[in-house]
Amino acid sequence: MNIETLKYKRIEPGTVGPCHVGPDALVYLKRQQTNPSRWNGDNWQDFSSVLRERGVELRESAAIRGTFSTDAGGTAYGVPHGVVIARNAEQVSTLLKAAQQYRVPVTVRGGGLTTEGESVAFGGVLLDMTGMCRVLQIDIEALTVRTEGGIFWHSLAEELRRVNMDYLSAPLNLTSSVGGTLGVGGIDVNSPRLGCSADQAVALQVVTPTGEIVECSDAQNAELFQRVILGYGQFGVITEATLKIRPYTPLRMHYFYYDGLRSAIQDMQMLVSNDASDYSGILTIMDCAVNLLVAFDSDEREAAFKANWLPKLRGYGETGFALRMMLRYTLRPWKLGEAMFLYKRKRELFPELQRPEYMRDGKMHDRTVVFSRAVWKFWGSKQMVIPDLAMSADKFVEAVERGSKVCRKYFPHYTLYMVGIKLRPDHKPHYEMSCIPPDAEGWAYGCEFEPMIEGHVYSRDHLQSFKNEIYNIGVDLGGSYYRFGGMMKGYIRRVFGDEVVDRHLAMKRKADPAMILNRDVIF
Amino acid sequence: MWGFVKNAFTSRRDHADCSGCSLCLLVCPVWRKTRDITLTPHGRSKAMQHGDIDRAAIDHCSLCGACDPVCPEQIDVSGMTLKLRRRLVHPEAPALLARMEEMTAQPITTKHAPAKLLPDQALLDHPEMLSRVTRLLGMPVAEDEGMDIAMALESGVVIPAERMQRFMAPLRGTMRIVVANGLLLKHLKQVLPTKNIVSLGETLSGHEEVRRSLRASDLYVIESRAYHSDYQRLVKYYDGLRVDHGCSFNLDLQRIAIPATVRSLPQRLGAMPHDDDSQARWVLHGRNIARIVVENLEDCIALAKVSNIPVVHLAELAEDGARD
Repeated sequence: MNIETLKYKRIEPGTVGPCHVGPDALVYLKRQQTNPSRWNGDNWQDFSSVLRERGVELRESAAIRGTFSTDAGGTAYGVPHGVVIARNAEQVSTLLKAAQQYRVPVTVRGGGLTTEGESVAFGGVLLDMTGMCRVLQIDIEALTVRTEGGIFWHSLAEELRRVNMDYLSAPLNLTSSVGGTLGVGGIDVNSPRLGCSADQAVALQVVTPTGEIVECSDAQNAELFQRVILGYGQFGVITEATLKIRPYTPLRMHYFYYDGLRSAIQDMQMLVSNDASDYSGILTIMDCAVNLLVAFDSDEREAAFKANWLPKLRGYGETGFALRMMLRYTLRPWKLGEAMFLYKRKRELFPELQRPEYMRDGKMHDRTVVFSRAVWKFWGSKQMVIPDLAMSADKFVEAVERGSKVCRKYFPHYTLYMVGIKLRPDHKPHYEMSCIPPDAEGWAYGCEFEPMIEGHVYSRDHLQSFKNEIYNIGVDLGGSYYRFGGMMKGYIRRVFGDEVVDRHLAMKRKADPAMILNRDVIF
Repeated sequence: MWGFVKNAFTSRRDHADCSGCSLCLLVCPVWRKTRDITLTPHGRSKAMQHGDIDRAAIDHCSLCGACDPVCPEQIDVSGMTLKLRRRLVHPEAPALLARMEEMTAQPITTKHAPAKLLPDQALLDHPEMLSRVTRLLGMPVAEDEGMDIAMALESGVVIPAERMQRFMAPLRGTMRIVVANGLLLKHLKQVLPTKNIVSLGETLSGHEEVRRSLRASDLYVIESRAYHSDYQRLVKYYDGLRVDHGCSFNLDLQRIAIPATVRSLPQRLGAMPHDDDSQARWVLHGRNIARIVVENLEDCIALAKVSNIPVVHLAELAEDGARD
């Protein structure tokens, strides 16, 4: 047992449960820090004094430190020495300059929706960016919004809706922050058409790891812009962002049901590559109830879809699918449990996606609210693991089918969420060492493999084994991942190769000499 | 009766069940005001999971109840805050207990009426508006308004059984109770499950003359505590009002009522001045409206302070309608 573990003994073991491999293996083990020994608290007193002298409020109470002890994943635990709530770029700059001087790690957190401990501070300072959440300017003529980086996408949507505008694409999760999303990607069901959230950023204000406040875009300080976008927080803190916006429209939704993955994925790819819909994505219950979601902003686009593409889809309507399922499980009575689960899930989930207060004249309003509330209600848990695979189009079906088998091996129930991501050829430099697979052309495809925890407690070994097996598929097929930081960073060299990683590490060392910014995420 | 039985045996989830999704943060007016996560339901739950919580985090909650319907874990979030307040002896507790003792000792004459109004402090402070409300609804003010009980509920001070009995006695023979204070409304629904207990806002908005006067250019400000305490039903009720009259509401994208005032416990107790301006401005921000219609008089005062368009209480609409 090392000293670092003793330092954090106040945290209770909590979620560590029985291990499926050796049921008694973890009973007498204290929970270990994910990354226990990188920094031992050196210079903290000097650093905190200097910070206070420079007017930065550093909060060290047990209550606030405990508030940030884990992330949405709930499997990595760590407490910072102190918390700074971000208020403005100058304050963030002062913090980072002092952190460089005293070599104190700074972990930046937005919505805290990471699942691999990327936004958990194992000592040092936790910088809570949600304190910077103002909308600074909405330019309806230029169709852009300037906002602070810590704002939640939902809060941004609230302000945009007051002037009948909307953002382009954002994660289907209300509490993702803009800055955090731009750092990792951000996928929406309109990403097949509009790309990932990171690609809608027009310009950024960034505080570099050495404390400079820099404005960057494709035209100004382009190299920094390339590194910060999809950069997993390694090259700066996004304090402001200019994003593209558009007029708000409600959606007309269509659902098609499949009893297998392959045909649904192929149909989705057909729609994506032919620009046949405004929104598309796949949400499954296991691998036997597969829902292809297709939606439209306008009646014209919907009519064109109905005329040209609807006849080519192989999915069923709700009634047709129900009949098919009845036949399937009548012939396989030993799978009655699975059938009952599917039926129960349908009865619970479907009404949630059609709540009357969000439906007007057959159109869905505020889709992010509807989906996000459903996501947290039906998939949320104190423990969440969501390994993913990002692939080029031709490898995607195989990756999903193999990943689905892994899910079945580890968990009784699970969900897959799949979506296409349109790529911007001019943003190729942004995509290096990111969730965009290096061989993807035109579109990349992503699949999240989300086991349903359902109140069970799984050991970290079990969860890690599951994630590793999914990620091994990515290595095998030459893809990438959305969540390759934190506890999954062991895969970075395997999937991207030494040459790329070493080049980025050299850039990181140059930009962040003391390696203080988000040090446990990638390098 | 069934509702009471069901509630009594439903296990209420608590801070230990918080998954940290932050959905409560999005609707928390205290978070909007302070941008300090420790003062929010999320912060309180996480701090408690960590074994340490500050009094400030408990006192800051305005008990608007917005966090209750959005919590995917179905934690009784505002109930959790009230439990925490009960565990901390508040400096004002002795004064509140003395006030309740004083009220218990006062004689009471019960007048039988099929319906009674329990006004809130703001209505009691504005007798003209109170009399307009009672005239419009055709019901008397209850003999015991229970303002000390409402404040005790807010502060987490335990209400003596004798005081509660004295408060309830005149209400037992009443079939319909209209309550202006959202917190008292929630409590009464729990202790008198067989009675027809409704909020003042819902009652007034159901009045035909009031409804007729609503316009598409109105911003209708729902009283948040009553709304969130019966969210599943009322979200449909107000959506119906929107469909019928076209007015907009102080609802956010999650269909949660944005309160026009945010008051911490010290502010409610008068130990600190009110500071509602920024919240009231947020309710109005970017809206293209000609008039503000409010259910709650406290909101009326806060919005009138920051707005240059007319702000009217629902009860005032009936007379406007008569003039039209």
